[in-house]
Amino acid sequence: MSELLVINNLHASIQGKEILKGINLTIGAGEVHAIMGPNGAGKSTLSAVLTGNPLYEVTEGEVWLKGKNLLQMSAEQRAREGVFLSFQYPVEIPGVSMVNFMRTAVNEKRKYEGKDPLSATEFLRLMREKKQMLDMADKLNNRSVNEGFSGGEKKKNEIFQMAMLEPCLRILDETDSGLDIDALRIVADGVNKLKTKDNASIVITHYQRLLDYIVPDYVHVLANGRIVKTGDKSLVAELEEKGYAEFE
Amino acid sequence: MLNLNKGEHKELVYINSSQVDIHVQQHADSVLRVVVINLPQAPDGEINHTIHIDHVEAGCHTEIYALAFIKDKEQVRIHTRMHHDVGEGESKQVVKFVLADQAQGAFLGELKIQPNAQQVSAEQTNRNLLLSDEAIMRTQPQLEIYADDVKASHGASSGQLDESALFYMQQRGIDAATGRRMLVAAFMKDIVEQVSDAEQREQLLQTIDSVV
Repeated sequence: MSELLVINNLHASIQGKEILKGINLTIGAGEVHAIMGPNGAGKSTLSAVLTGNPLYEVTEGEVWLKGKNLLQMSAEQRAREGVFLSFQYPVEIPGVSMVNFMRTAVNEKRKYEGKDPLSATEFLRLMREKKQMLDMADKLNNRSVNEGFSGGEKKKNEIFQMAMLEPCLRILDETDSGLDIDALRIVADGVNKLKTKDNASIVITHYQRLLDYIVPDYVHVLANGRIVKTGDKSLVAELEEKGYAEFE
Repeated sequence: MLNLNKGEHKELVYINSSQVDIHVQQHADSVLRVVVINLPQAPDGEINHTIHIDHVEAGCHTEIYALAFIKDKEQVRIHTRMHHDVGEGESKQVVKFVLADQAQGAFLGELKIQPNAQQVSAEQTNRNLLLSDEAIMRTQPQLEIYADDVKASHGASSGQLDESALFYMQQRGIDAATGRRMLVAAFMKDIVEQVSDAEQREQLLQTIDSVV
C-alpha cells in the first residue's frame, strides 16, 4: 500500500465556530473508507475543507496528497491534482451547458498535466464512451449544468463527471440522500466500475444502504469533530443497530 | 411613430446604439420583437433608451429583450412603456444589466393595462448582476393594472455572482477567473440568443468573450 492521503491533526472552523477538532486519517491507494456519524459531527465540513471551500478556515494541522501539501493549493489546483467531490447538493448553473462545462474542466486538467487539449470531436467521443460505460442516457449534453435535473439525475451527473475527470481521491458526500433504490444502484455501480488500484474513496453517509453496494475497507465514526472509532465493515451493522447515541 | 398593421410581424434589433427612442403602435394581431443590447463602449458614456409600445387593437404580441453590460463610469438608462389599451394582447419584457467598476444602470419599467383591456397576459422581468461594490443599479417597476381579468407578473432582482456555482466549477478544476467569465457570459446568454441573425449573434458572443 502507498499512502495517498494523510491528514494530521486537522482543525477547521466556520465563522469562528470550530467544527473539526483534530482529525487524523491515512488513506492508501485502492482503499474505500466510510465516514459515518450523527448530524453536525463535521462530515460535510471535512469534505469542504479537503476540497478548499473558501467558507471554511483551517486553523491547525496538515493534509498531504501524494506527498504534496494540499492545504496550500487553490480549490482548482486540488481538483487538477485529482481530488473530486460528489456534492451532496450539486449546484445548478443556468446558461452553462454540460458540454462547455465539462470540456473546460477536462482541458484545464490536461493543460495542468502538460497534455494537449481534446478537440471537440475527441471530447464528444470521450463523453459518449463514459456514458455508455455507466449506462447513462446521452441526453444531458445540451442542457445547462444540473438545471432542472431531478435529484437522481444530479447524482448520476456527479458520477459521470467523476468518470470524465478520473480523480485519485473520490469523496462522496451523502451521495445516497434523496435517491431511490434504482438510482442508488446506478450511482454505486458507477463508483465501483471506476475503482482502480490507484484511486481511493471517502464515502460519507448516515446509512448502511449505500455501503451495501460500495463496500468499505475501513469504517470511521466521526462525532463532535473527531474520529472516535475505526473498524472494518462489520462496524456498519453495529451502528445501524445501536445508532450513534454512545458517541454523542 | 411606427405603426404595425394588422397581422404584421416586425423585429427591431439595436446593437450598441447610443440612443434608442421608439414608439410603436400595434394593430390587430401584429407581432413585434425588440432586442436592445449594449456592451462596453465609452468609459464615461451616457446612454438613454426609451421603448414605448401601444397595443391599440386586440390580439397583439410584443417581446422586449434588453441587455446592458457596462464598465468604468458608463451609465445606461432603459425605460420601457408597455401600454395595453385593448384586450387579448400579450407582452413579455426581459431586461438585464451587468455592471462592473463604477457603472450605473437604471431601469424604469412602466406596464399599463387599461380598464377595458381584459384577457391580457403581461410579464416583466428585470435581473441585474453587480460585479463590483461600486456599481449602482436603480430599478423601478411601475405597474398600473386597471382590468381584472388579466395575467400580469413582474420580478426584479439584483445580486452578485453565485459563489456556490463558482466553487462547484473550481472543484472540477476550472480556475476562478475562467469560472467567473463563464458565469457572466451565461447570465447574458438568453438575451443574446434572441438576436435572430446568426452572424450577428456569433459576433456578439465573441465580443462578450473578449470583454468579460
